[in-house]
Formats: sequence, structure tokens, C-alpha cells
Amino acid sequence: MRAFLRRYLALTTKEVQQLRRNRGLVIQLLIPPTVVLVIFGYALNPKVRDLRLGLVDESLTPQSRNFINSLSENVNFAVTQRFARVEEAEAAMNHLKLDLFVVIPVEFARSLGRGQTAEVQVVIDAVDANTAQIAQGYLQRALNDYNAANGFDPAVATGAVEVRSAYLYNPGLETSWFYVTGIMSILMFINASLVASALAVKEKETGTIEQLLMTPAQTGEMLLAKTSPVFVLLMVVLFIALGVAMLIFDLPFHGAFWLFVVSGICAALAGIGIGVMLATVSKSQQQAQLLTFFVNPPITLLSGASSPIENMPMIFQMLSYLDPLRYLVTIVRGVTVKDAPFSALWPNLAALSAFAVVLFSISAWRFRKQ
Amino acid sequence: MKRILAQANKEWMLFRRDKLLIVLAVLMPLVLMILYGFSQSLRLRNVRLLVYDYDNTPLSRSYLEGYGAALDFRITAHEPGESPERAINNGRGRAALIIPANFQRDALRGVGPTIQLMVDGTDSNAATALGTIAQAINLSFSQRTSIGRPAPKLARLDQRLWFNPGLSNPVFFGTGALGMVLVLFPALLGALATAREYELGTIIQAYASSLTAAQWVLGKGLLYILIGLVELVICFLLGVAVFSYRLPSDPTVLLVATVLYLFSGVFYGMALGNASGNQSSAIQGVQLGAFLLSLLLSGFLFPVRNIPPGIRWISYILPATHYVKVVRNSLLRDAGWMTSLRPMAALWILAVLFLLWNVLQMRKMQFKD
Repeated sequence: MRAFLRRYLALTTKEVQQLRRNRGLVIQLLIPPTVVLVIFGYALNPKVRDLRLGLVDESLTPQSRNFINSLSENVNFAVTQRFARVEEAEAAMNHLKLDLFVVIPVEFARSLGRGQTAEVQVVIDAVDANTAQIAQGYLQRALNDYNAANGFDPAVATGAVEVRSAYLYNPGLETSWFYVTGIMSILMFINASLVASALAVKEKETGTIEQLLMTPAQTGEMLLAKTSPVFVLLMVVLFIALGVAMLIFDLPFHGAFWLFVVSGICAALAGIGIGVMLATVSKSQQQAQLLTFFVNPPITLLSGASSPIENMPMIFQMLSYLDPLRYLVTIVRGVTVKDAPFSALWPNLAALSAFAVVLFSISAWRFRKQ
Repeated sequence: MKRILAQANKEWMLFRRDKLLIVLAVLMPLVLMILYGFSQSLRLRNVRLLVYDYDNTPLSRSYLEGYGAALDFRITAHEPGESPERAINNGRGRAALIIPANFQRDALRGVGPTIQLMVDGTDSNAATALGTIAQAINLSFSQRTSIGRPAPKLARLDQRLWFNPGLSNPVFFGTGALGMVLVLFPALLGALATAREYELGTIIQAYASSLTAAQWVLGKGLLYILIGLVELVICFLLGVAVFSYRLPSDPTVLLVATVLYLFSGVFYGMALGNASGNQSSAIQGVQLGAFLLSLLLSGFLFPVRNIPPGIRWISYILPATHYVKVVRNSLLRDAGWMTSLRPMAALWILAVLFLLWNVLQMRKMQFKD
């Protein structure tokens, strides 16, 4: 045991010194993730505001002007232009000057006056389905407001069924929490695999691996010594990220802190395992990095960090179970924004630690075989 | 010109020898296109909805039918005796709908019962959307059952969705995916190509040779741009098969934009390789710029207009922002040159800037005659 510790310490010292000389890598591991986290926390916002609304008022009556007023009072719409003819509005939309336009037909006031339903035509640029759907929702609400103000609304009419929504965990609907927690996990994980694969293959490329193999150290010890400084750095990155998220974005931390730490450790090990494994199957550093680079985007996209997993087609939902990052994201969101009980999170933790053990063992075994 | 070609030829020899690189160059765009197109979507589907029906009458069941029929929700069971807060906390569902006792009686009497919807607010976008969808289902229930005497006269919306009438997400993300894929690999190859020269020390030969800085940079980049064009063809064919791409009536717009985009991607990668001089740093830089920033800030996922103005400039210096715009304009809206002039100019400027950056990096080191 003592011999093991001595050898391990000696090898780790060597790795730390190498890492110290490679100051670029250390800076790169620590600074960009923090900056990126802040940028994304501020920038990512799927909420749509100031939709550019065009108006074609063919009716030109007090009623239609009243309707237009109720639309322009809505904060979500910015009335950019009024058109005399529908064709002009269509042309403007084709030139991307508008997100949607509303046509109020000639008979608008007459129909309302007769007590009939008056149709208002709306054309929405639906290329972005999410934005289009949100725009539909805004319009419907604006219309309900108009109808209510004029006493025609079924929903406000007495005795109608009402739905009240309550938002748990995030009553202010703060968008940054969702993204900050996702990005934090992504950065930690993909940096782990990239850096580990570079380190594992470097000795092979420079030829110094022969010298290492001649030493009394065993391959397992070598791998352990090689990855421990990176591991420590990654944990530092994770805690900096958490600190930044809590300080700048007021991310709450409701759950168990040890769960966060343990899942972080498992994820770092799994990431390092993937990196080393890919390094052992490739001949050069270039190949190793390419392979890692190839593996990282699917891991990121399927993890549910940037878009909810339920929205994916079934086959991708199945595939996402093979993605270790998925479990990390779930746990991080579970312990920060929510106070998810251990009974709900343990399957995720179990899967993540299984990934860590399996990936790290495979990488140790592959590393030994060299 | 001859020198540029000779340099490109040398790169080709190196590239050809690496079988893995060739396999990746073909496989990566295919896999990524499909992933980008199908896995990213902000539109909700199959949200697990926990139902607590304390009334359990024909009317309450008919109310629930509205949610069951909507594609957005999938009604799931909860454990007996589990409170809605607990069930959501345990991750059994994303929202819970609570119908109070005496719902039917109150509704028929005209008292106006209140139904509660509890939503997990972790993903605030999804939470907002769920609230809106529930309102819409509720309204249609009121109209269907004429509870609360709907007034006959009201203004109604007649909606038309242009360019993407089915509100299909794969159409939107599948076209944007072209931009995501075409920047990743060329930038990566560019970064590796230059960084490797520094690591192996062969960069000295480039410094010492009679090639000018611009010739070296262009020669190195040329091959990767050609590879990018091959990838464009592969991706486009896949797009036709899976994401219902159509050939735009004026394909020159897309073609010119793609070439400019590839230029900026390759030169961005090469500049990173030059600046860092080692492969792993260069790749991390590519990962940041060409993967993460492009994925999240280019308008691929969210409209660029949602980004606060203070940091919107980051989006504008990403070539992907402009290219995704051109791709969507020409593939979805079938718009010609006129609408794409501004993004095209931006791509042009970015390509030239990245090229200049490379040339300056090289010129600094090159031996003077």
C-alpha cells in the first residue's frame, strides 16, 4: 500500500508539473466555462417579445380602431406598420419585415353590429414553430381581452370554468435557471472527455510512453495519476460554475449538497473514462480529439440540457438513456431549483455511477492493453 | 495560384492517409444533421400530466377528455395518496390538474368552479406554454358545453400560418442543422491542420518557404472548403429525404453563402490553431465557438432578437447566425437574393476578417527576404 502511495504521488507530481507548464490548458479549463455560463445565462431566453405586427384595416370604423388599440396596447406586439392593402403586407412579410399581420375585413363593424361573429384574419410567419405558437397564444389573449372589454367574452361571462396556473419551484418563471444548470453540466462533462483524451494519448505521440512503461508503476496507477489533476480541475470548474450561478443568477439550492458533489464526481469520472477510452483506440492525438469531438455533440444534444427530452421522438428518448450527461442534468436541476427527494433522484445517481464505474474500468483495461 | 494548389495538394495527401478522418468526414454530418433536426425542439409534446379528479362526474371526465385529446399532454397515473406537489417533486409528471369536488354541480349552477393547474417551473418556457395551452383547452370546453352562456357575437381569429403551416419543428431545426453541421467539421479540420504543424515543428518549413502568408493560408484552407462542399451535397440529400428540403428557385444564393460560410469556418479554425499552437487548446476553442456558441446563440434555437442588446453582438460575429438566416430564407421561404443581402454581406466580411487574422499571424513569423 505504501509503495502504491509513493508511486502514485510521484507520478501525480510529474503530471501536476506538466500541467503547470501547460498554463494555457489550466486557464482554458477555468476561464471560458465561467464566461460562457454568464453569457448564456443572460442571453438564452425563449420568451418572445416585441413581435413585429403589421395592420391592414379595411374596415376603417370606430370598432376596428378600438380593436387595433387593444392590440397595440399589448406589450408583446410592436406595431411596425399599417398597410392600405393586403398585398403590401404580404410583400412586407416576404421581405422579413413582419412576424405577423392582422387583416380587419370591411364587414367587421357591420357583423359586430348585427350581433354576428366577426372574423379577423391573421397571418403568422411560422418558420419558427415555437415563436409562431407563442404569437398565437398572445393574439388569442389579446382577443379575449378585447371581447371581455366589449362584453362578448364567454370565458369571463359569469359561471364559466376557470383554470388557474401555479408555477412550482420557479414562480417568477426565471428562464436563466434552466439554462445555467444545463450549461454547467455540459461544460464539465465535455471538457472532461476532451482534456482526458488529449492527455492519455500525448505520451504515446511523443514516445515517452516507453519510459513510463519501464517504471515499476502499474498501468492502473499511471492512469489514476494522469487523471487526478484533471479531475481536481474539473471539480473546481463545477464549483466555480455553481458559485457564479448562485451569485449572478440567484440560482437557489434547495436540495442535498452531497448529491450534487457525488453526481459531479461520477460525471467527471465518466467523462474522463470516455476520453481515455477514445484515446486508446486512436493512433494519434489528432484522431483521439476528433473522436471525442464526434462523441460530444450527441451527448450534449440528447441530454435534455438545451431542450426538453419529452419533445424528442421516441427513438431519441430511448437513446438518451445511454447518455450519462442526461442523469447529471436531472440531478443538478433536481437539487438546485427543486428540492427533489433522494427517492426520486437515486435511479439517476445509480445510472450515473454505473456509467462512471464501467467507463472508467474499460478505459483502465484498454490503457493497460497498450 | 500554382503554389496555392501545390499546398492544397500536400494537404490532400495528408488527409487521404488518415482513414478515420475520411470516415468521420462523411459520417459526422449525417449523424449530426439527424440529431440537430430531431432532438432540438421547444414545442411541447407528450407532457406528463397528473390528474386529480376529486369530482369524478360525467362533466369532470368530459373536461379531462379535452386534455387527453390534446397532443401536448399525456395523462399519467399518480401513486394513491400522493399529493400533487410530491408527485411533481418526484418527477412523476410535469404538471398536475386538480378538479375540485362538486365541480359538476357548481358548473351547472353557474357558480364557476376553479380548476387548478400546478406546473413544474424548472423549465420556464415549457411552464409558460403549458399555462397557455391549458387556457385554450379550458376556453374550448366552455364553448363546447355552453356553460356560462357564451355570447353569440364576438370577434374571432382566422389564422393562417405561412411557410410552415404544420408548425413542424423538424422543418425549422432541420434547415438550421445545415448551418450547424457545416461549420463544425471544416473548423475542426482547419484547427487541427495548423495546430499539428506547430506541434510537429514543421511550421518552420512554412516560415522558411517562399510561399507568402496568404498563399499558405489559402492553400491549406482550400482542401477543407472542398470537403465542406462535399458535405453540403451529402447533407442536402439527407435534407431532401428527411426534412423535406426543396431545391430553391434560385440556388445560387445558398451556394454562394455556403462557400463564404465554409471560408469563415475553416479560417476561424486555422486561426485558433495558429494562436494556440497545440491541438487540444485549438479544439477546445472550436468546441466553444463552432459548437456551443453556434448552437445556442445563432438563432438556431431561439430568435436572436430575444438576446439582450448588450450581448447581441456575440451573435453577430458568429458566421452561423447569418448563414442560418440565409438557409431558412432560401429553403423555407424560397426568397431570392434581395432578402439575403445583409446576412450575405456579413458572411463576406467575417470570411475576410478571419482570413486576414490568419495572414497576420503567419506574416509575423515569416522570414523576410
